[in-house]
Formats: sequence, structure tokens, C-alpha cells
Amino acid sequence: MRSSRRSPPKEAATRTYVARRLAIAALTLLGMSVIIFVLLRLAPGNMVDILFSTGGYVSESDKQSIMKELGIDRPVWIQYVDWLREILTGNLGKSYRYDLPAWEIIKPLLPVTIELAILSTIIAVLLGVPTGVISAVRQDTTLDYALRVFSLAGLSMPSFWLGMVIILVLVGWLGWIPPMTYVSPTENLKIHLVQFLLPALAVGYRSSALITRITRSALLEVMREDYIRTAWAKGQSGWIVIWRHALKNAMLPVITVIGIEFAFLIGGLVVTETVFNLPGVARFLVEAVLWRDYPVVQNLVMFIAIVVILSNLFVDMLYGWLDPRVRYGD
Amino acid sequence: MATEPVGVTVAEVELVAPGMALRRPGLVTIVWRFCRKKPLGAAGGLLMLLIVVAAIFAGVLATHDPIATNATSTLARPSSQFWLGTDHLGRDIYSRILHGARVSLIIGLGSTLLGSVLGGIIGLLSGYLGGKTDLISQRVMDIFQGLPLLVLALVMAAALGPSVPNVIIAISIPIIPRAARVIRSSVLTIREMQYVEAARGLGVSHLRIAFRHILPNTMGPFIVLCTAQLGSAILVEAALSFLGLGVPEPYPSWGRMLSVSAAEYAQKAPHLVLFPGFAISLAVFGSNLLGDALRDTLDPRLRGA
Amino acid sequence: MARFRSLALVAGLALLGVAAVTLVPAIGQAPKYGGMLNVMQREDPPQGFSIHETSTISTVWPGMPCLSNLVIFDPLKKQESMDTIIGELAEKWSWQDNYRNLVFFLRKGVKWHDGQPFTSKDVKYTFDMVREAKEAPAKLRINPRKDWYSNVDNIEAPEPHTVVFHLKRPQPSLLMMLASGYSPVYAAHVPVANYRTGCIGTGPFKLKEWKRGEYIDFVKNTDYFVKGRPYLDGMRYVPIKDRATKFAAMQAGRLDVSFPGDESRTIAEQVTKAEPRIKLTIAAQNVNDNMLLNVTKPPFDNVKVRRAISLAIDRRGAVQAVHQGGGIVGASLAPRPHGVWGLLEKDLAQLPGYGKAQEDKAKAKKLLAEAGFGPSNPLRIEMVTRAIPIYLDLSSFIIPELKQVGVEATLRQIETAQWHPLVTRREYQAGPNLTGIGPDDPDANFYENYACGSPRNYTYYCDEQVMKLIDQQSQELDPKKRLQMVMNIQKKLEEDAARPMIDWRLLYNLQWNYVRNLVPHQSIYNWGRMQEVWLDK
Repeated sequence: MRSSRRSPPKEAATRTYVARRLAIAALTLLGMSVIIFVLLRLAPGNMVDILFSTGGYVSESDKQSIMKELGIDRPVWIQYVDWLREILTGNLGKSYRYDLPAWEIIKPLLPVTIELAILSTIIAVLLGVPTGVISAVRQDTTLDYALRVFSLAGLSMPSFWLGMVIILVLVGWLGWIPPMTYVSPTENLKIHLVQFLLPALAVGYRSSALITRITRSALLEVMREDYIRTAWAKGQSGWIVIWRHALKNAMLPVITVIGIEFAFLIGGLVVTETVFNLPGVARFLVEAVLWRDYPVVQNLVMFIAIVVILSNLFVDMLYGWLDPRVRYGD
Repeated sequence: MATEPVGVTVAEVELVAPGMALRRPGLVTIVWRFCRKKPLGAAGGLLMLLIVVAAIFAGVLATHDPIATNATSTLARPSSQFWLGTDHLGRDIYSRILHGARVSLIIGLGSTLLGSVLGGIIGLLSGYLGGKTDLISQRVMDIFQGLPLLVLALVMAAALGPSVPNVIIAISIPIIPRAARVIRSSVLTIREMQYVEAARGLGVSHLRIAFRHILPNTMGPFIVLCTAQLGSAILVEAALSFLGLGVPEPYPSWGRMLSVSAAEYAQKAPHLVLFPGFAISLAVFGSNLLGDALRDTLDPRLRGA
Repeated sequence: MARFRSLALVAGLALLGVAAVTLVPAIGQAPKYGGMLNVMQREDPPQGFSIHETSTISTVWPGMPCLSNLVIFDPLKKQESMDTIIGELAEKWSWQDNYRNLVFFLRKGVKWHDGQPFTSKDVKYTFDMVREAKEAPAKLRINPRKDWYSNVDNIEAPEPHTVVFHLKRPQPSLLMMLASGYSPVYAAHVPVANYRTGCIGTGPFKLKEWKRGEYIDFVKNTDYFVKGRPYLDGMRYVPIKDRATKFAAMQAGRLDVSFPGDESRTIAEQVTKAEPRIKLTIAAQNVNDNMLLNVTKPPFDNVKVRRAISLAIDRRGAVQAVHQGGGIVGASLAPRPHGVWGLLEKDLAQLPGYGKAQEDKAKAKKLLAEAGFGPSNPLRIEMVTRAIPIYLDLSSFIIPELKQVGVEATLRQIETAQWHPLVTRREYQAGPNLTGIGPDDPDANFYENYACGSPRNYTYYCDEQVMKLIDQQSQELDPKKRLQMVMNIQKKLEEDAARPMIDWRLLYNLQWNYVRNLVPHQSIYNWGRMQEVWLDK
């Protein structure tokens, strides 16, 4: 089976597979659009109620006319079809809350969250994979125990709490104050990095723990496989065996976790972005939901969905590359 | 020992190959052997046991009424009267943490079981059957997985109103695709193994193969997943309560104890932030330690080693 | 040198008391021009700068610097009253025909930020829109303060620099409402919707850029109609939600001024202790904590039950527990010494819930027993409250208080989106609530919160006799007589437990010691214009 991996039929299969996956991705997005659209409208209250709450009263007749102005008085399915049509023409609608095109609101938020997510993932991998490998190789030694306690501690702390404690320590005992507003890298690279590294550490430490666990258990499992034992028996040195055979095969579940983590990171950043006052997508999303700002929520969710679907596809592709036992097609 | 170690025996019975069933050891022996071989896991089990006890006997163990405010001792430091201090309304933090354990455990266990079992079944079937079933269920999973957890929870909490069952449902839904994916990926590997192919060759029915041969072999990852999810469910509950979407005031919940007011008084009274956070971390830590150890114990291929 | 100055400041604080210091530096020092002021902001302003379309300080605070009123409360005087009103767009004004006509003589040569001239048409346009006159050419999307102007019969603009408000009956308080930060003049040539994303005003600062979630930048309006103002070159308002973060930023000197009402006593004392160069001014907010009781449904249609609830809540305990002492007890108008109309301490002590806690609780039990509730048949109620911390803290205090008199209360949290529809439709029994009032004025408060049929009268308390008293005080021209009438109404409202007042929040305003001439008043809504502010750096 191993020898057939790079043969032409396999490549063709891969190509058809990707094409099919992309087509299906479109369907998935469609399904998701329905779900988020319906869920949003099931939640009681709409934008107009929020507007009135900033005024401290409600007037039924004025409410009707504002709903008409925003177009949310029409039947739900018409609103849905309109939304899809708008997406396809690249028009993301208008934010109810800000009276501005939704895209103008969303655009400046993206780099912040993407940078934070990537940084957190890098920290998680840098911290998690080596810890996991060492822990597996030195199974049941003191080092293993220490590393596992360290990584489990990370997994066990709420990242928002960790953020609060970091700030508490920095402010209370060291007198350091986190930057108040977002500082772009061109403005001041040092402040920018500090601004991002602390929340990325809080989030990344937690994600790294999951990666450590999975790396360790996957590696332990692979190390019991016959071919690894054979390699060992043939006299290859321990670390080479681990590197050449074991780790590569253990990467399968690890990559799954990284893929899943990355997707969930975006949702999980909400509280961290709030605690560190970073103007990112996640923090904004919660506010938009609370404001029932349909166009902003819908389009943000769809954007996140696209990222998630692409990362899942990528993970599945890596499956095939890393584990020859997995076949595409059927 | 309460629920968890009992779970060990049940799972172990299923895993033990038919020929070995005769040498089934007693419960005490199992627990003793587990404690000796997995001291970390045993520590985790002990932690969980402590929390379960705290939750069950919160009414007896608490020194104060957890919701009673006390105008004369707000933000009190830990003392002999208030073991862990008081919050900004003068409520005793120690008593609130004890009562908060109930909320965390009920929501954590409820949503984990619901989500993992549903997700596990989907993953098992989709991985084993493959083809259209796999494709469709994977697409549905993608849809759920693509929805950011907090958006789902926010909207659901808004639509259903904050209450214990609703929070359980909201947290279990994001667990389903995680469980399904992890189980599916190990099923994909296992179904190519020789003994499964052999069983197939002997004409054993699909359902029987899936549940008799593949399911037990996915138990390792499944239990790791379950325990990891128990921990993360407790964490999500904390995050939801932190955002004000969990169990309503004034009933104590660990996450809510950390919300806005705690941050506000953090500099003056760090115990407001520290203790509930420790409680969350310890509960999650305990379930993770236990889960790791169980995983090593339960994986059939590690048994002999 | 800097250390010596801060030492001197600490000594000064000790000698003069915190409040007095605020005014001292303004005297005898020539103001300096220039500099940027960094201002704390709670959130992105809802509805942008369209002050007429909101009732929240989040909009008023960053909206005021770019807009102007006809008249305004003197920014440098701590206590607002009829006597501290000064002209803004109106140079002079005069009451005519025994307080039936209010004539404004407008400044000449005033320009909008886009260069267009300001005239009486803009004034008529704005207030016709707010009072929803038939001939109004434009409409506000939402209009919370229409009732302030229900007594205006018509507005006339006989010439470009004269405006006349014709009233249906005398109403001296109209001027108070016009002097509030809630009453800016909009430009007639700018669509209302534009104020939600931008700001064309006549105020001392021009809006430069609003970057959502990050900052709102203002620059000095060099064409401002008050010569020599503003002193500052510009201002940046920074919205930060997290309280710990924003006060840490203040402490670090990244913000110069705190957001009115976001500072609690604890946090303010914490900050000033850590950074003595930040000075603390205690003032009032004109925001009260109260208890909504739906009088249209049992059990709260029974005044005995309402009064029992009111008696059960220990007001002074609330001030300690909910505000760590950062509050003050009072009835329906801002208590003294901050407010003008508040009840005297001896009168307050007679009201339900303001006396000795245990005696009042015993009275509450007795009243409940008379209404048929007791240990065998406890009163069970469901309270609603908004799912935001300031409401929840209040609720967390009230529930155990009620428990002590045998009332079993559960709490349902309501999201902001559902809160006002719910209370407006009377779909609740009871609810801890916060009420903010623009100017410290009986008309602004009574007509909004207690008048029959007012949309913000959430309890639906409607008493003909009280209505009559409210109308009478509104027309009373003798200030002393009016004060007496207003105090009687307040007593009556508390005895009826129409909307039991629990406490009034104090303001713990924080400013760096180089900030000059920013003087908090007894209401947070009226002192955000910023044209007098300068930096002593």
C-alpha cells in the first residue's frame, strides 16, 4: 500500500476528491447560512428593540416604520434570498447599528483576529509538540509527570481567567499597563508584539495542552506498532526512529486537533479579546449578536465558516499524505 | 469511590477479550492497582471525588448562606470568619464556591454525555460505513463545527433563556462534531486492520462489526475525548456565565463569580478573581488527570505492556 | 519638583477636602492653550452623535463637544439650577406674557462645521422635530424626550436671529430642559441619519474620525463662536468595555478623564491611592436605583403590599452593599447637598424603608400579614432585571432583603433587547431598575416617570391627585412655594410606593491633576461640552 501512494491513479483520485470536497463545501456553507439565519431570527427581540432600549421606551408604531426602513418587516424567506443574492454580488449589506456598509465594519477587524489566532496556534504547536514527544519517550519518568502536570494545568485554566491573572500581576505588582488601543506593527512593532503576545500566550498555552496530550498518546500508540519495534530491533537509534517513523504517523491526530483548535480559537477568542481590549472579530461578534445586527453577524459567521471549512479540508488532505492507510474516494 | 471508578469496571468488562473474562479481578483490587500504577490519575480521581462531595454536601459544608449579602463586610479578606473572603456584596466566597460546584458538575457532566454519545455514534457509523453516510454526516458536522461556539451559545441562550437545561444543550452541540471527528478518524484506521477484515470475510454483519469489534477499540480515544470534553464543558460554562449567559443570579456559579464585578475589584481584592478561578482550574485539572490515566489503562493495546 | 508638587497636592487635599480642590486651580492661573485630551468612553456611542435619538450617556458624552444648545448650565458651576443657565447659541432670552412665551435672541455669525450659516430655522427645525409637530419637515427615528415639549404650542422663527417658543401654559422648567446636554440644535440642512455616523454641529470641536471600537477623534473648531475657546487642540475618546483595563489605562496616564458613572467608589479610591496625581471629585449622577412594582396586577395593586416591599429594603444597607458607601439615600429627586429639590433628612427618615432596618422589616411583615401573606402562605414573586452587572448587583442585594420578611423572590434575567418591550407591556411583577434623569428638575422627572400615560412610566402608577399636584408645581412661578410642593409630591410618591427609590448613585470622577476646568455637576448628562477645559502641562 505504501508504494502506491504517489502513483498516478492516486493523484487523479485526489484531484477528483478535492473538486468534490469544494463542491460540497459550497453546500455546507449554504446549510450553515440557513442555520445562522434562522437562529438569529428565533432569538427574541431585534435591532429595533435595542434602538428603543437606548431611548428607554418603546413605541409600537415607530417600531413598525423602522423595521420597514431596515427591511426586516418582510417575510423571512424573502430576506434570506435577498441576503444570498447580496453575498453573491459581493455586497454585504449595511450594519444596522452603525449605519455603514457591513464590510467597512468587518474589514479592519480581520487582521487583528487572524494575527492573534495564528500567533496562538504557533505558540500552541511550539509548546505542545515537543512537550508531547518528550513526555511520550520518557513515559512514566519524573520528567513525564512534570510535563504532563504543566500541560494539563494549561488545559485546565480558563484562558480568560489566565488573561485576568496576567493583567492582575502585571498591573498590580509590576506596574505594567497593557496598551489601551490597537497599535499597528508599522506604528510601533515592539508594543504591537507585546500587545499580541500576551493574549496569544494565554490562549496558546491552553491549546498547547491539548496538542501535548494528543501528541503523547498518539506517539505512545504508534510506538507499540510492529514496524516501529522492527526499526528499533534493526538497531536504529531511538530519536531517529521517533523522528522518521513514529512522529510522522502520530501527526495524524495531532493535525486534526490543530485544525479543530484553529477553528474554535476564533470563537474562543471572544473573552480574551475583551480582556485585552483588542479590536478583533470575536469581540465584535458578541456585540453584534447582542445588538441583533443581522448583516454583521451573518456575514462574520459566514466568513468564519469559510475559514473553518478550508482548514478542515486541509486537515483531511494531510491525513492522506501522512497516513497511507487512509484512502480517498469510495 | 463514586461514579468514575465504577465506570472503569463497566468499560473494562466490555474491553476484555472473551477468553480473559474469567480472571476478572474485584473492584478494590482494580482501584488499588490503578492508584499504584497511575498516581497522577488517582490524584485526579481524588480531586473529582472531593468536588462531587463538595457539590452534594454544599448545604452542610457551607459556613454562610451563599446568596445572603452583608453590607458590613464587603470585599473582606480571607479570615477565620470568611475562609476565602467575601465579594463586593459581602457574600461568603467559600460558601459560594461550594454551591457553585453543583452548577459546574451538572452542566459539565450533562453536556459531555449528551454531546459525546451523540457525536460518538455519528462518528462510528460514518467512519465505518463510509460512502454517502460518511459524506452526509461529515457535511452536517461541518455545518455545526463551523458555527462559532459562543455565537451558537449566545443565540441559543437568547432564544431559550438562560437556564440549566438550555446551557447543557448549548454546550453539548459543539461537542458533537468534535466527538464525531475523533472517533471517525480512529475508526478509519481500525477498519483497515486485519482482524476487522477477517471478521468481514467471515460474513459478520456490519452493525455487529461496528459495535463489537470497532467500538471497543475506539474506547481509548473516546474516553480521552469524554474527559477532555468534561473539562472543556466546565470551562465553556464558566465562559458563558462570565459573559452573563449562564445560570441566573443570585445562585452562585464559578464563571459568574469571575465576571465584571470581580475584574473591577481585582486590584483591591485579588481573592475575588483568584479563588473561583482556582476552583474551575482544579475541577478541570482533576477530570483531565483522571481521563489521561483512564486512557492509558483502558487502551487494550497498552494492557500487556 | 514634580514630587514636591504632588506632595503639596496631597496636603491640599487633606486640608481643603476633595471637592473644594476642583475649583481652586481655576482661580488666578492664566489658561494655557493646546494639547490633546484623552477621554474615557464606555462603548461605541449607540446611534452615533444623534443625542436626540438616545437616552444614554454613552452618546451624550462624546456627542456634546461637537454640538451646541440654545442655553446650557454654566460648565464651571458645580450645582445646576435655573440660576446657573447661561446662553450658548442664544445670546439672551426673555420670558414674556407671564411665562407663556420664551423668546431667544440668537448669536450672529455662527457657522456650522461645514461652513453653512446657523439661523433660527435650524432651531425651529430641531425642536419641531423633537416635539413631533405636524409641520415638522423631518422625523427622528426614535424620540425619547417628546414629552418634555408637550406644553409647547408652536415655535416661531420671525427673523433669522429670533426664535419664540409659545407655550400652552406657564412652564419655567422648559428652560431647564433646554439647558440639558440632551437638547442640542441640529442643522436643518443635514439629514438626521447623518448624525448617526458623523456630526455637523456648531460646537467647540469638530469630529475628525470615528474608528469603531478604537477611538473617536475631535479637533478644535477654530471658527467656534465663543472667542478664545476651546483651549484644547483636540480630544480622543477611547471606548474600552473592560473596567479593569480602562482604569489601568487611566492610572498609566493614557487617559486623562474618566467616563461619568463608570467609576465606583472602590475603583476610584484604588486608582487615587496608586496614583496620587489623579484627583478625585465626588459629585452626583442624577441616576437612581429603584424598584419597579407593576401596580396594574396583584399583588402590587395593593398599596399595603407595595409598601411592605419598600419597608423590607434597607436603603442604607443598599448604599453600603451595592455601592460600598458610594451612594446616598433620597426620594424621587436628587438628594441634597448635590441636588436642589431633595427631601430634608428629617423628612426622609419618616418614609418607608429609610428608618431603622429591623423596625421597618417588622412593619413590613405586619403589612404583609394584613394583606393575607404569612409563613403559611408566603408571598412569592418573580422579579425581572436586565442581565447587566449593575442591575444584577442590585437584585442580588434585594432578594435576601425580601427573604427576611418572608417574601420569596426568584429572578429572571432579561437581555437588553427584551427589557424595554417587557416593562413597557407590563409583562412583569417586580424588577430592580436604574433610572437616569437629564436635568435635576421636577418636570423632567415627574412627567417622564410618574405621569399617567408616559411611555417611561413602567409601573403604570397613575394617580389623579398626584397628576394635579405635578401640573400645579410645574406652573408655580415662586421658587420657594414650588420647592415645598415638589417635596410634598415626593413624600406622597414614596408613601404610595409608586416606584420605591432605593438610593442615588454618587459620581467618583477621576481626572489627572493637570486637567483644568472640567467640573462635574449633579447630573452626568450636562457637562460634557469641554470648551473650558485646558491642560496645565
